[in-house]
Amino acid sequence: MRKTLHGNAFKRLDLGILIPVALLIAAGLLALFSATHNAAIFIKFQKQIFWVILGTLSLILVLLAPPRFFHYSAYLLYGASLLLLILVLVFGKTIAGNAGWFGIGNYGIQPSEFAKLAAILALARYLSDSTTSMSSFPDTLKAIAIVAVPWALILLQPDFGTGLVYWAIFLAMLFWAGAEMVILLTLLSPVFIVILSIIGLWYFLIAALVVSILFYLFKRNLGVALLFLVLNLSLGFGVQYLYDHLPDYQKNRIAVYFDPTEAPLSAGYNVIQSKVAIGSGGLTGRGYLQGSQTQLRFVPEQWTDFIFCVPAEEFGFIGGSLILLLFSVFFLRGLVLARRIEFRFYSLVIIGITAMFVFHVFINI
Amino acid sequence: MGRTSFASRKRTYIVGAVFLILVGILAFRLYTLQFVEFDSFRSQAQRNSISRIASDPLRGIVYDREGNIIVDNNPSYTLTVTPFEFEWSSLALLVQLFNVDSNLVRYRVSRAGQNSFEPVKIMRNLSFQQLSMLEEYRTLLPGINYVIESRRDYHMRPHLSHLLGYTKEISPHLLKTMGDYYQPGDIVGFNGIESFYEDILRGEKGYGYHTVNALGKVVESFDHGQSDIPAVEGSDIVLTIDMDLQSYGERLMLGKRGSIVALDPRNGEVLAFVSSPDYDLRDFTGRISVELWNSLRDDEASPLYNRCSMAAYPPGSTFKMLVAAAALQEGIIDINTRIPCSGVHLLAGQEFGCHGAHGNINVVTAIEHSCNVFFYKLIFKLGFDNLVKYGRLFHFGRVTGMDISNENSGILPSKEYYDKRYGSKWNIGYLINLGIGQGEINTTPLQMAAYTAALANGGTYYRPHAIRAIKHPARDEEELIPGNPENLGFSRSVMEIIQRGMYRSVNGSGTGYLARVGGTRVAGKTGTAQNPPNPDHAWFVGYAPFDDPQIAVAVIVENGGFGGSAAAPLAGAMIRRYLIGPVYPGTTTDSSSSVIEPIDQAEVESAEGVMTD
Repeated sequence: MRKTLHGNAFKRLDLGILIPVALLIAAGLLALFSATHNAAIFIKFQKQIFWVILGTLSLILVLLAPPRFFHYSAYLLYGASLLLLILVLVFGKTIAGNAGWFGIGNYGIQPSEFAKLAAILALARYLSDSTTSMSSFPDTLKAIAIVAVPWALILLQPDFGTGLVYWAIFLAMLFWAGAEMVILLTLLSPVFIVILSIIGLWYFLIAALVVSILFYLFKRNLGVALLFLVLNLSLGFGVQYLYDHLPDYQKNRIAVYFDPTEAPLSAGYNVIQSKVAIGSGGLTGRGYLQGSQTQLRFVPEQWTDFIFCVPAEEFGFIGGSLILLLFSVFFLRGLVLARRIEFRFYSLVIIGITAMFVFHVFINI
Repeated sequence: MGRTSFASRKRTYIVGAVFLILVGILAFRLYTLQFVEFDSFRSQAQRNSISRIASDPLRGIVYDREGNIIVDNNPSYTLTVTPFEFEWSSLALLVQLFNVDSNLVRYRVSRAGQNSFEPVKIMRNLSFQQLSMLEEYRTLLPGINYVIESRRDYHMRPHLSHLLGYTKEISPHLLKTMGDYYQPGDIVGFNGIESFYEDILRGEKGYGYHTVNALGKVVESFDHGQSDIPAVEGSDIVLTIDMDLQSYGERLMLGKRGSIVALDPRNGEVLAFVSSPDYDLRDFTGRISVELWNSLRDDEASPLYNRCSMAAYPPGSTFKMLVAAAALQEGIIDINTRIPCSGVHLLAGQEFGCHGAHGNINVVTAIEHSCNVFFYKLIFKLGFDNLVKYGRLFHFGRVTGMDISNENSGILPSKEYYDKRYGSKWNIGYLINLGIGQGEINTTPLQMAAYTAALANGGTYYRPHAIRAIKHPARDEEELIPGNPENLGFSRSVMEIIQRGMYRSVNGSGTGYLARVGGTRVAGKTGTAQNPPNPDHAWFVGYAPFDDPQIAVAVIVENGGFGGSAAAPLAGAMIRRYLIGPVYPGTTTDSSSSVIEPIDQAEVESAEGVMTD
C-alpha cells in the first residue's frame, strides 16, 4: 500500500508507528516515576507529564496542518531556528556548562532541539529539489553547509553531544537520497579524523591517507584528494594541540568516554554505577520500585542520561530487551514508511527523524 | 547511481541493517551485563546498599593546672531527620510539635544528596516532655528520631570565658572552610582554646556500617560490626591557668572595662586571663537564647570582646623600658649618661612637657620618675630604625603566638606606615611621641605581659601559652607543652639596669608605689595611654618577687585615668594573691598602705650614687 498525503488527517495516522511510540512513552513515565517518586525531584516526573501532553498536542497540530505546509516552509523554519540559536548564545542561560537554554518559568527549552528538526526539513527540501544532483560535488557541499551552520552554532554553546547527531542525520539522509559513497565518505572524513586524532596519532594519519587515496581512485580528481589530505592532516594535528590545552573537566569527560574505570569515584562513577544497576537486573529484574541501585540513588542523574538503568535493573533483561524491541519496531516502521511514501520530501524527512532517534537511543543507552 | 538510487530497495535494506545492527549492539551489551557479568554486578549492587552512619566522639575534657575538671560533657537529646525516610507532608506537624525552623529542615534534607539515609540533626536540647511527644507521634513522623549527643558542662568558679571560648553548631561559612570532616549540624569550637585546639579536643568521628534494604531502612549492622570504625574520644587538655588567681582577677575587674594578663616569667605559662566585662559560658551550652545573644552583642561595653589579646592601646610610659633597653644595648647611653630635664622640651617651636623638672638624671632615675624629657631626648639619639628593631624583638606589631584563636598584632609603625597613613613623607617629628609610648603605637595587654615577663627574667621571651599538657586517654599518654624560650640577646647588665628602674618606680619615689605588696618585693612601671577626647587608659606592668620573678602581670583599666592610681593597686593585689595568698578579714594589709621593704644596700648605693654624682 502506497502512502499518500491525501484523505482525513486521522486516517492518515500510522498505527504501526503510533503504538510503539505510545508504549515507549508509557515505559519512560514508568521508569521516571520509579527514579523520582521518593525524592525531592518528583517535580521532574510532573514536568515529564507536561511534556507528554504538549507532545500530543503538537502531533494533532501537525496532522491538521496542510500536507504541503512543511515542504513550503522548510527554509523559513530553518532560518527561524538559526535565529533562535544565535539568540540563545546571546541571551540564554547556562545549565551544567551548556549555555543553550531558554528559561520559561521552571521549564528549560533548548532551541537546538527545534533546530535539529528544522535542519532535517531544510535538508530534505534541498535534496528533494529536482535541480540537486547527488553526483555533483558542489551540490553535496551545499548540503553539508545546511547542516554545518546549525552544528557550528551548537558547538559554540558548547554542546558536543547534540552536535554529533547532525552528522548522523546527514549521513542517513544523503545516503537515502542516493549520494555516492565515496563523496559521502570524503566529505565526512573530517569528523572521523577529529575523533581518531584524540585516540592517537597513527590512527588519524592512516585514516586521512586512506580517504584521499579512495577518493582519487574513484573520482580521479587529484586536486580534491590532495585538498582533503591537507585539510584532514591539519585538522588532526590541530585537534591534538587543542586537546592538550582543554580545561581538565572536558579532558576528563573525553577520557572517561574511552575508559570509565579510570576514575571510578569521580568522572567514571556514573558509568560504573549504571553498569552495576543494569548488570544486577539479571533476567527478570529486581521488581518494580525494588532496584537498590535506583531506589537508593547510587546512580546519579538517573532521571536524565541514565534512565535506561531503571527498567534494566527493575525488569531485567526481559524489560530491557522489550524496550529495545519497541525501538526496533519504531525504526523499521519508519524505514518502511519512508520507502512507501510517494513524496520524496517526506520520505527524506522520515529518514532524517528516524535516524535522529536511532542516534539518540544508541548514545543514551 | 544518481537519482535512480533514491530510496532504492538496496538502500532500504542497508539502512534497515544499520538500524538493526545498532540495536543489536545494545541488546548484546544488555546480554553481557545481565547474564555474563550478572553475578559480579549483583553482588556489587548488594555491597552498594550498605550505608554508613557517623557517630560523634566525646569532646576532650579541660582540666585546670591542679588537675580539677573544669569543662566536661553532659548528655543531651538532639532531634534528627533521615532525609530518605522523611515525608514532606509531616513537616507541619514537626514544626507544630517541636517549634523547629522549617527552613532549616528543608535545607538539611535537600542537601543530603547521596547519603540520604544518614540522619541529620535539626534541633538540640530536647526536653523530656518533647521526647515523650516524639514517642507519641512517632508513626506520624517518618524519618524523625533522636540521638544522644554531648554538650559542654562547666564546673569552675571563674568565668574564664574569653580564654576557653565555647562550642557551637558549625556555621555554613566554616563548613566550607574547615574541610570534609564536618557535616551540617556538627559542633565545633568557637574562639579561645576550644577553637585553637579544635583538632585535639574534637576526637575523630566513628562510622558504623549497616545493610540497607530496598526502601532505605537499616536492616542490621553489616558484617556483625566488624568493619565499623569506632569514634575516637577527643584528647584532654590541662590549662596553665591558676583558677584562684583568675577568679580573683575577675572580681577585681568587676564593674570596670579592661583586662589583666598574668604570666609565669620562667616559662610563659598564662596564669590569669581576665577580660572585663565578660559573659557566662553556661549560657552558651546548647542553644543560646536570641534575647541573651542580642543583649551581649549590643552591649556597648562589648562583653564578647576579648580585650586581653584583641584590644590594643598605646602603651604609654610602660614603653620607656624598651627605649631604655635599646639605647643601653646599642651603647648609645650607659648607666652614667645623664640627660638634663628642665621640665619642658622644645621641638620645632612646640613645647613637650614633663611632670616636673627632674634635673640631670640617669636612666634608672628616668624610669623611676617616668621622666618624659629624658625619653624625648633619648629617642632622637636612638633613632627610628633601632626603635622598630627592638620593638619587633619584643613582638610589638606582631602576635605573641599564644595558643588562642584570635590575637591582634597591634601596631608598631614603620616609615611606610606613616607614609601610607598620612600621605606625606616620614617626618622625624613623629618620633618624639613614640619615645614615651604615645601616638601611632598600639599594644595588647597580652603583648605587654609577655614583654614584662621577658624584662623580669633577664631577656628571654617566652611565647605565652595557656595549656601545660595534652592527655591522650586512648593511648594513655601525656604530652607536656614546653615553654618556648627565645633569647633576645640583651647583656645581663642592661637588663639589671632596667629592672632596677622598675624596682625604684614601685619602691622608690616613683609613680608605682600603689603596687607595693607586703611580704614580697614588686618591680613595675605605670603607664597612661592618652585617649582624647575620652579619659586616659591606665596601665601597670610589673613582676615579683624582684630577685626571683614568678609572676609578671599587665593590667589595663580603660578610661581609668592615671596608671599609678587605677591600675597599680590591681597589679599589686594580683601579685599578693598569687605569691602570698588570700587576705582574710582581720589581717588588714592593704597594698596602698604596705610598708616599704628595706631595699638592699648595694641597690641604694648604685642608684643614689649615680644621681648625686
